[in-house]
Amino acid sequence: MTILDVQKVVAGYGAAEEILKEASITVDAGEIVTIIGPNGAGKSTLLKLVAGLMPVRRGTVQFCGRDVTGLDALGRSAAGISFVPQERNVFSTLTVADNLLISAYHDRATAGSRREAMYERYPVLAEKRKALARTLSGGQRQILAMAMGLMSAPKMLLLDEPTAGLSPKAADALFDAVTALNREGMPILMVEQHAVEALEISTRGYVLVTGRNAATGTGPTLAADPEIRRLFLGG
Amino acid sequence: MLVDLAQNLLNGLMTGMLIAIPAIGFSAIYAVLRYPNFAIAAYATIGAFAGWWLNATFGLGIVWIILIAFCVSGLVGVAAEQVTLARLRPAGALTVAIASIALNLMLENAVRFLFGNDLRGFDLPIQPDWRILALRIGPQQVQNMLLSLAIMAALFLFLRYSPFGKAMRAVADNADLARLKGINPTRIAVATIFMGAGLAGVGGVLLGLDTSIDPMTGARILLSVFAAAVLGGLGSIPGAVVGALLIGMAEEVSLLAFPATYKTAIGFVAILLMLTLRPRGLLGERAL
Repeated sequence: MTILDVQKVVAGYGAAEEILKEASITVDAGEIVTIIGPNGAGKSTLLKLVAGLMPVRRGTVQFCGRDVTGLDALGRSAAGISFVPQERNVFSTLTVADNLLISAYHDRATAGSRREAMYERYPVLAEKRKALARTLSGGQRQILAMAMGLMSAPKMLLLDEPTAGLSPKAADALFDAVTALNREGMPILMVEQHAVEALEISTRGYVLVTGRNAATGTGPTLAADPEIRRLFLGG
Repeated sequence: MLVDLAQNLLNGLMTGMLIAIPAIGFSAIYAVLRYPNFAIAAYATIGAFAGWWLNATFGLGIVWIILIAFCVSGLVGVAAEQVTLARLRPAGALTVAIASIALNLMLENAVRFLFGNDLRGFDLPIQPDWRILALRIGPQQVQNMLLSLAIMAALFLFLRYSPFGKAMRAVADNADLARLKGINPTRIAVATIFMGAGLAGVGGVLLGLDTSIDPMTGARILLSVFAAAVLGGLGSIPGAVVGALLIGMAEEVSLLAFPATYKTAIGFVAILLMLTLRPRGLLGERAL
């Protein structure tokens, strides 16, 4: 079953500039899909477009069989799409506990029990519950950002370069957390710089070049493709 | 000499506690909307007049006066914001800040038109000052200080523990992320203006209780309020309190060395020093 179906979307910031030129992408139930590509290919833009933070000029976005092209970020998030930005993805002056709570602002009745579930899933957050988010390490902050994304009980998670700036050890831990989440059935669409590692845990991957689909395949196949390795993965 | 110093520090502490309330309002508006709203002076004056009118007409007690003045100033603030400043927000913070000065003059003159230019005082019993050691302190000042503390405590509890208060802090921290989490920044902005203008109004009432009121009541404290907020770090509420206490004490202590005319210079000097040495303020999160 197709969860997300993005067809030939065109989008950009300025009036004339087009960053995405008819890019298409699908995510099926239970998949991890990774988008890789050179800088400026439009990977993050595509993720923002799916999150509703970027207006769609042409093309369509369907989510769970419903056309969501016209919905803004609030509408997409209500539909079940949860976007975890790359930077500034936690409220740094709030405690870990409040960060989680505020992420389920419209469902305060169940927010407390959902937060308990997050503490159980990610014990480091339980340990740090009273700490301000800005005191967390990079890895802890990314875990918090992901847990915040889960607080709204989404149907799909969008991760924008979740391991950017993390130590190799913290990056591995984060990929483990992503895999564990996916095994429970959460569909995940992510953009990653650590392309090999990301593709190895992915069901499928897309290579995006200058706003267009350049290649696609299963994660391990793409990760092993010598041409792709040479072009985008640094050898 | 030492007694004089202690007395002036005490007076400064009292003044600081009064300035702190509008300074918190000013800083809260800055934290969420990212512009300095100088109309806060007029909101203080409006609160003072609303409180005085209630006291003179109905003889209401202080708690009622404060609650109603908070609401009146808050509502005037929201209305003025929606009609004027909100439309200018896309033009940038500087434009809105300048417009808020114009708005301030308009509102001040509206008060003047309605109530005239005379000094007015609350109908309070005249009480002799208390003497503690060698220091003088008025019962009214003590009451004001306790009221100010109570308001700060209520505000602290609201921001720290209520879901809406947390949402306000979230928007102040990172409005884009708040929007992603389904918090509507526009609603939070309106609520913040209500709260900020309301607090200014309460500050106006406290000032009126301390001395007397006229249409310039707010304008006279505007520089101190602004200096307090800059000193503490714009957008930081604990910073506004600390800044207000420091400015209040510095102003009073300056009287020992300079004529009272120069008292207002303290605010300017504080702003100048702070922006030169530590632009983000004592407790501020980020630079201006």
